[in-house]
Amino acid sequence: MTMSNKTRAQRLRLEQERLAKEAQEAREKRIRTIVMISVVGVVALALVGVVVWTVLGAKRGQEPVAAAQIAEIGAVQGRTLVVGQQDAPVTLDVYQDYMCPYCGQFERANRADLQQLVDDGSARLVIHPLAFLDAQSAGTNYSSRAANAAVTVAQYQPDKLLAYNAILYDRQPAEGSEGLSNEQLAELARAVGVDDATIQRFGADETTAFVAWLTDAAFRNDGIKGTPTVKINGKIFGGDLYSAGPLKAAVLDAKGS
Amino acid sequence: MTDLLDRIHQLRQDNRWIFSTMLFSACLSLLASFVLSADAVTLAADPDAALSCNLNTVLSCGTVGTSWQASLFGFPNAFLGLAAEPVVITIAVASLAGVVFPRGFMLAAQLVYTIGFVFAYWLFFQAMFGIGALCPWCLLVTLSTTLVFTSLTHVNIRDDNLFLPMPVSSALQAGLRMGLDVLVVTIWLAAVVALIFWKYGAALLA
Repeated sequence: MTMSNKTRAQRLRLEQERLAKEAQEAREKRIRTIVMISVVGVVALALVGVVVWTVLGAKRGQEPVAAAQIAEIGAVQGRTLVVGQQDAPVTLDVYQDYMCPYCGQFERANRADLQQLVDDGSARLVIHPLAFLDAQSAGTNYSSRAANAAVTVAQYQPDKLLAYNAILYDRQPAEGSEGLSNEQLAELARAVGVDDATIQRFGADETTAFVAWLTDAAFRNDGIKGTPTVKINGKIFGGDLYSAGPLKAAVLDAKGS
Repeated sequence: MTDLLDRIHQLRQDNRWIFSTMLFSACLSLLASFVLSADAVTLAADPDAALSCNLNTVLSCGTVGTSWQASLFGFPNAFLGLAAEPVVITIAVASLAGVVFPRGFMLAAQLVYTIGFVFAYWLFFQAMFGIGALCPWCLLVTLSTTLVFTSLTHVNIRDDNLFLPMPVSSALQAGLRMGLDVLVVTIWLAAVVALIFWKYGAALLA
């Protein structure tokens, strides 16, 4: 009697444990189903997000930034800055950013060659001051501000453009730093002989819009993937950009042919 | 539906699946470390070298590779990957072959890999917000490190290799049984992708 009672109690306990375990397993399984569905949901949400974003981005991409016109005076022609004789046999396009270290290396290496090619009428130098490294100046949009100043110099004192271009690269700030302040940009302009009337025009809204437009157009229309990019008569120069000589030789070659 | 989910769950608990994932991810990580090491050597010889992965201003391993963060300990970080990933590969292959490592060994592996995991994300955040450029191979390292860390942690929680207090350990194991690990990793990776898109989306497609 006692024995059988014990066994019954034991059996009852085992049965209860089994039921509890089953209930626990069922609960975990239910939660697992919810968790798995959530995972699928998160993935789906992420995919939808990326797709929507891409589609919207592509739509945005189709609408070109409105052409921003500024007075085409001085060296400004269309959306470029042109230095040298209009009828020069070679057109040399330089796509550059004042924040980009390689652009600085390019300019410092080829400065004398470019000046000479312009001076002797071999080439007309077309400068595209782009602002694609705006994100790399700790929020100060240095690329835009410097390009803006260069465009203004090109408009009102085109003969000072190359000198200003050169000093901007001589004093080039480190990529990722705040860049030069507006006062420093003005100071450097003054140092190369730009007068105060021109300097006071630095930072005009219309010039800023112009720089944004020409940056956008360089990527969209001219297929520029990075800076510096140099084109000789419309064809990208693939040679050594960072030492004096090769570019000049290629320009003279193009002039001869 | 629940049947399919159950089968996926079963598969995910299978040693073959876990260690295959670990092996695959570690191989990816090793490959990326090789490329990054080779790039580091190229960049050391010529800081202006044009690398194949300089896709645009955002995706640029030249910018990332020449930063101080890329050689935190005085040599390229990728060398650490060259040293560490083969160990993971060995663990994965041995485990696939049926070897069961001692608990202490697995604990050590977990500790070292956790340091690597933290380091990978420190680098990711440095690249995102400090350097201002991402490099494709570094992103591959970030992803594969996450996957290796996930599978290693999965094994170590399941096999109770971490010498955790009983309640913590059983809570974590219950979490595994309910598949919470996938949810955490999925949300984590989705957040990383969202972060990249939020910060660099426009420039990525440019």
